[in-house]
Parts: sequence; structure tokens; C-alpha cells
Amino acid sequence: MKEDALLILLVFVVWAALALIYALVPSLGMPGYVRVWGAGAMLFLGLAGLLAVVRR
Amino acid sequence: MNAPLPSLSDRVSALPGCDKALVRVLFGASLLALALGVGFGWLTALGRAGVAVFEPQQAARLLTLHGVTVFFYWLYLAQTALLLVLAGAERNGGGLALRSLAWIGGALMLAGFAVSEIASITGTPLLYDGGPALGRDDPAAVGWFSLGYLLLGAGLAASSASAIATVITRRNGGAGGALSAVGFALFAWAGFLIVSAIAAVNAFLPSVLWALGRGAFPANQPTEWHILFHNLHYLPLMATVVVWYVLVQALTGVSSMHGARFSKIVFASYLLFVPPTSLYHMFLEPNLSETVRVVGSLLSLFVAVPTVMAFLIIVSSLEAHGRSRGASGRLGWVGALPWKNPVMAAIACAALNLGLGLTFAFVLIQEKLAPLFSDTFFVPGYFHFFAVGTVSLSFLAAMMVVLPALTGSAPWRPALLCRMPAVISLGLLIFGAAGIAAGYAGVPRRTFDISYGGGAPALWHTLMTAVGIGGTVFALGLTVLVLGVARSLLPGPKDSVVQQPVVSWGDTPLRSQVAAWTGPAGVVLVVVAMALFTIVAFDLMNALPLTVIGGGGHSH
Amino acid sequence: MSENRHFTTRRGFITGMGFGAVGLYGVWAAYGAAPLPFGNHHETLHQGHGDAAGTLGHAGADHDAGSAMTPEAFRREHAAFVDRFKRPDGSVEPVAGQAVSHDTGHHDMNAHDMGHHDVDAHDMGYHDMDAHGAGHHDMNAHGAEDGHDMSGHAMSHTAHGADADQPVDLYLLAFMWGYNPDILRLRTGVRYRLRMMADDITHGASFQLGAASRIIRLRPDSVSDQIITFTKPGTVLIYCTVYCGAGHDQMQGKIIVTASEQGGQP
Repeated sequence: MKEDALLILLVFVVWAALALIYALVPSLGMPGYVRVWGAGAMLFLGLAGLLAVVRR
Repeated sequence: MNAPLPSLSDRVSALPGCDKALVRVLFGASLLALALGVGFGWLTALGRAGVAVFEPQQAARLLTLHGVTVFFYWLYLAQTALLLVLAGAERNGGGLALRSLAWIGGALMLAGFAVSEIASITGTPLLYDGGPALGRDDPAAVGWFSLGYLLLGAGLAASSASAIATVITRRNGGAGGALSAVGFALFAWAGFLIVSAIAAVNAFLPSVLWALGRGAFPANQPTEWHILFHNLHYLPLMATVVVWYVLVQALTGVSSMHGARFSKIVFASYLLFVPPTSLYHMFLEPNLSETVRVVGSLLSLFVAVPTVMAFLIIVSSLEAHGRSRGASGRLGWVGALPWKNPVMAAIACAALNLGLGLTFAFVLIQEKLAPLFSDTFFVPGYFHFFAVGTVSLSFLAAMMVVLPALTGSAPWRPALLCRMPAVISLGLLIFGAAGIAAGYAGVPRRTFDISYGGGAPALWHTLMTAVGIGGTVFALGLTVLVLGVARSLLPGPKDSVVQQPVVSWGDTPLRSQVAAWTGPAGVVLVVVAMALFTIVAFDLMNALPLTVIGGGGHSH
Repeated sequence: MSENRHFTTRRGFITGMGFGAVGLYGVWAAYGAAPLPFGNHHETLHQGHGDAAGTLGHAGADHDAGSAMTPEAFRREHAAFVDRFKRPDGSVEPVAGQAVSHDTGHHDMNAHDMGHHDVDAHDMGYHDMDAHGAGHHDMNAHGAEDGHDMSGHAMSHTAHGADADQPVDLYLLAFMWGYNPDILRLRTGVRYRLRMMADDITHGASFQLGAASRIIRLRPDSVSDQIITFTKPGTVLIYCTVYCGAGHDQMQGKIIVTASEQGGQP
């Protein structure tokens, strides 16, 4: 389960980084990207956490 | 994936009755959506060929109904049903977790289906992207149309939550408590579906609020739509690869020779590559910043990495096992596959169509070529290789395995169904070749009457006639296949399921230094084809009697 | 087992092959279309997108150079353009060097309309207006205000609109369901700055050029620029490529391109 959680955590990192770039460079003109990739990043952070804590 | 689980059919058969009922409803609704969508699409193709004449509003309504029904409801009802049934099968008899959420999700999606269809039939035709500008004078149409997608999104999120809960609470899990490769793929897929539901809210909630008089006119909807649209491109392909992974094991007993961890990395890479590669849909947007345009073009080169890797994992594993069993010659292992099984025929044609689709997708992602192809018939010309030839064939193949296990009823005339993927692919080849050529020639994508008072080139009509012929062929093949698959939704005699031919290569010890060249050769072929058609496009653009600087493209 | 594996079945090989499509970059570079500064694209790309980005305008685009044009300014200039260059048959023929020099009627019309035009140009601080040509009196006034060197030679080029460095401005407004002007008469070998905008909802403007077309998507109230030069005479169909409602199929215009007397090659 640990490797599963790490892979999903990696997804969080990439999505969060992109959301951050779009948020910090407003001239890119993509506020929707901040919302969607940012929310997605939070979702995958939660899912990574879920994988990390679930004991089977 | 290597855990000694019962066969997929046995695990599906072991699902609790209430779960079976839910996925049957969803599969049935998806097939209904496909049948309706094919009908609307066929009429559209006839209209484009000039065989049938529609009033402008009727034509736009047909286009709207076709896109909404197939691109949203067929693809997402089918994905949800497959996600739930495969998640349930992963749990090996335990059934769906958060079952009530799965049922609520299904109900929401069906409600969305009804609302979207009614809105498309009765309101101002908005095309499948629901652009509010077209309905500025008809806010109710925009509101209802957008509400349909919001219901679909909510249903996707709820169903996916159930799938996630099901996968992580799997009984009799693999070593170390890790998810299986398929389990991980389902987990990632479900997460991605939830993100797409968020993207749907981002794109369509402002339209609903505007229609209710509680928000400003959603002028940014076209940009927000692109984000959702990109997800909706990736999701079916990710689902297709998961389906191939499962079906190849069901057909041949072969699982990945590269290990579950490598497969998981590939499935995770779908999610890694989604956001960075999302910009190429917008190259024609006049207000797209130059930085985004350039970076987007560069990143779009990576758009197919996960799909190509997954393809290679599957094909190399199959080839290595086939050769280890003594298959000889360049393609001897291919000949030894169970070709009399319609599932095999479907996924093989799906793989070929994927190659064709990728070839032309990579012509379109070149930013400088966008002014030549975007908004032309090139787009439907190439994406039907994906939407019909790859994704739909793969989903129908999966249903040919899953539905008999759910209902105990066999598909109708498997020998006939076995031929349909080739018929569909032939039709697609005609449709795609003519459509892509029409795109190169500049035929607009959503214009039914392309005569322009005699101002249009005569070649346009010839090409669109061929589009109509190809569309008719693949619509016929698809209809037969849908009817054949739908037969197994209905209860049949208990002993009606005859095991379709399979091979058992999974327990074959792999030979030392066994090579697997077929997959890489296929990839090289596709890349060469991409290069050739890109060169043709550049040369065509450069030969035009117009030099252009600016506006999202440059040519001599 | 892995040491006995053929390289085609190794994970590293599969990963590498997965990136195979990236090899297409070589073709892009060979055609000067690669995003990174390889090949010969950089100079032309900079030139091209400097113009394009400069007019992308109000949607938060990062500009390379040039001035943004507001929708209001576009509408004013478009109206002046049509008004000034409209012919009796309804078509619009912006003045190029040959026409101004040899067609007295056009010259008179320009002179008549220049007062109106120059007021706009002055109000907007929009110097490219000069490219259209103007009555000498007005041009002197304008040039003096802006501190330009308005020598006789320079004056002649600007007034005739045929200066190699100054493209002739064209304005095309897309609306439900047509283009204004719907017939443009242009010359080969002349550089035109084609400024376009949609008036109501999103439209496309696709130029049918024989073997293929060139498309630009026009968003409402967003001005797009292209510097264009026709290299061969002929009739070019303009048609909408973005579905825009019931009259979409009928939305068309045309450009009649005639050979420039100075030669058709740019």
C-alpha cells in the first residue's frame, strides 16, 4: 500500500505545482486551471492519505 | 495481478444481486445511449454527405444530440458500469462498498441523461459543449442543458467514491496489502473521474446560475470547457487501457511480464501527464497568451506517453509468452491468438485504430498547423478512430465478457459479432480518410451546406460523400454489435453461455532472451506516419498563396 | 530472469519507446515550428507573434510587443475603413500604392474622408492609421503633433500605403451571419494588417485558398491581427468555421485578389 500511496502522492505534487504556477502567473490567463487542477491536487492528497492509513 | 484469483467471469458472477442489478441498469443505459447516438450520428453523416437535407436548426439539433448522447452518456455510463463491476470483481465476492452511494450515483447519471436529452430536443441547440452564447436569448435551454451535465458529474463522483471504497477494502488482498495493478488502475481512474466532475462543475455551474438569474453571463465558459474537454479525452483512453489489461488476461491468461509496480507507474502516469498536456485544445483561441501557446505545443508531444507504454506492456507480454510457447515467424504469435472470439477481434481492431488516431492527433497538436485543421472536418475525421474505433470497441468487448457473467445469457451470434470490428474499422477507414482529407482541404466541421453558393471547391462534396458512405458502414457494424451485446443483458437459458475460444498462455515459462519486436515496430510505424502527415501538412501550408504572420500560426 | 531478458522486453526500453512520439520534434524543428529555439524558427516566430500577441489584448495575455486595440477602437476604425474604401458595387478596396497614384477618384475619396480618420487616429493615439494614406494637409498636422519626420519622401510612402515597412490596414467584422465587408478587393504582393473581431458571438474566419484553408477563430470583442500577403491572384472564399446559429451555413464573404502592377511577389 505504501508504493500505491507514494504514486498518488506524486500525482498530488505535479497537479499542485501546476495549479500553483497558474495561480502565481496571472498573465497566463487561466484561473480555471487553478481551480480544477488545484481541487484535483487536494483530492489526490486525500486519496494518498487514504491509501496510507487503510490497513487491510 | 498475479494473485491466484478466480477468473474475471467467476468473480463477476459472484457479485451480490443488488450490485448486479445496478451495473446491469448502467450497462443497459449506456447501450441505449450508444444506439441513440449512433442513430443521430448516422443522420448527421447523411446530412453532411448531402443525402439528407435538414433545416439549419434540425441539423444543429442532430449534432447536439449526437455529441451529448455518445460523447457524454455512452462513454461515461459505460465507464461507470465497468468501473463498478471491475471494482466489485477486485473485492472478490464482497460486493460494492458504499453501495447506496453507487446507487445514488447511478440515479443521478440517469437523471442527467434524461435532462440532457430533453434539453437537447426541446431547447436551442447548443452543441455538445453547451456554449451559453448560442442560448443567450434562451437561458432556460442553457440552464437545463448545463444541469444535465452537472447531474452526470455528480453521479460520476458518487459512483467513483463507491469504487474507491470498494478497491481499498478488497478482501483477500495481494502480498503486503498492496493493491493489484488493476486495483490501482481502478483507484486512479475513479479519482480522475471525480476530478472531471469538478471540471464539469467549474464549466457548467456558472451557466445554471446565470439561467436562474443568480450570476453573470458565463463569458469564460469556452475556456472552462476546454479543461473538462481535455479530461474527457484522457479518461476514455485510460479506461480503454485498463480494459485491455483485464481482457487480455481473460483471453490468454497472460498478465504483465514487467510486474505490477511498473503497470502502476504507467497508470499513475496518466494522471501525471493530464494537466501539463491540456493546452493544445486552445491553439486557435485569439486570447491565448503566446507563452501558453508555445509551452502547450511542446508539452503536447508527451500526450500519448502513458497509452503507448501501456500498449507496449500488453503487447510485449503477449508476444513473449506466445514465442515462449513456440510461435515462430514475425507474427506467428499473433496468429495463435483466439481470433474466433469476438472480444479478441474487437481489441485487436481497437489497437489498430488507436495507431491511426494517434497518427493524426499528433498532426493536430502542432501549434502552427492549428490554423489549417482546427474547426475543420479533420477533427471528427481523426477522433472517430479514438471514440469509435478504439474506446467504443474496447468497451463493447468488455461487455461481451462481463454481461454473460452477470446475466448468464450469451451474446447474440458470436460468429457474426466476430466480424463486426473489422466492418466497423473498414467504415472508419473510409470515414476517417475522407474526413481527414476534407480537413486538409478546409471543409468546415459543423456546416451542413458547404456549397457557399458555388464558391466552395467541388472536391469538398466528393469527400463528404465518402464520409457519408464510411459513416453508414461503421454505423451499421456498430448497430449489429450493440444489438448482439445487448442480447446478453436479457435473461436467457441458464446453459446458454458457451465459452468463447480462449488460449492459456499465462503459465508458460518465459524463454531466455525471447524478443518482442511487434509492439516497438508498431510504435515506430506510427511515429513515422505522424512525421509524414505532419510534413504533408507543413508543405501544404507553405504552398498556399498567402503568407501569414501572427494569429496563432505562421506560414510561407 | 531480468538479466536473461531481451532488451525489447526490458522496462527501460518500453519507457523509452513510450516517449517515441517526442521524436516528432525533429520534423517540427526542420520546418521552423519547434517551440524551442532550434532550427530557423526563432526570427520569424518572434516577428510573427510580436504582432499577434500585441493585439491579443484584454484577456490577460502576456504581450511581446505592439499595442492592444480595444473593441470600441476596432468598431470605430472598422466603420471608417468601410466608409472610406467602399466602392459603388459594395465591395471594399483599401488603397494600395498603385490605386492611389493612378486612380484620381480614390484619391479624392481618401482626401474627403481623411479628416474624420485623422481625428480617430489622433484620439486613439493609433499611429498605424498613417498607412492608409491621407490628404497631405492632415498628414502634416498629424505628423507635426507626433513629432514625426514628415519629409516629402516619407510622406509619399505613407500616403500611398505601400511602404514596405507599413502594412495596409484591413478591418473585418464577423457577425451573425456575415462579414463586413463581405467583398474585399486586394492586391498581390502587398502586406496587409488584417484586423478581425467578432461582433456578437464566436465566429471563425477561414480563407479558402485552393488546396487548403487558413482559419482564425474570432471571439467577441477580442481583436485579432494577422499580417498577410497574397502571392497569387484569385478569388478567396471566406467562411465561418465555428457554429454560430441558424444562419451559420450561409455566413460567407470573399476576397478578390488581383495582380499588383508592381509584381505579385512579396
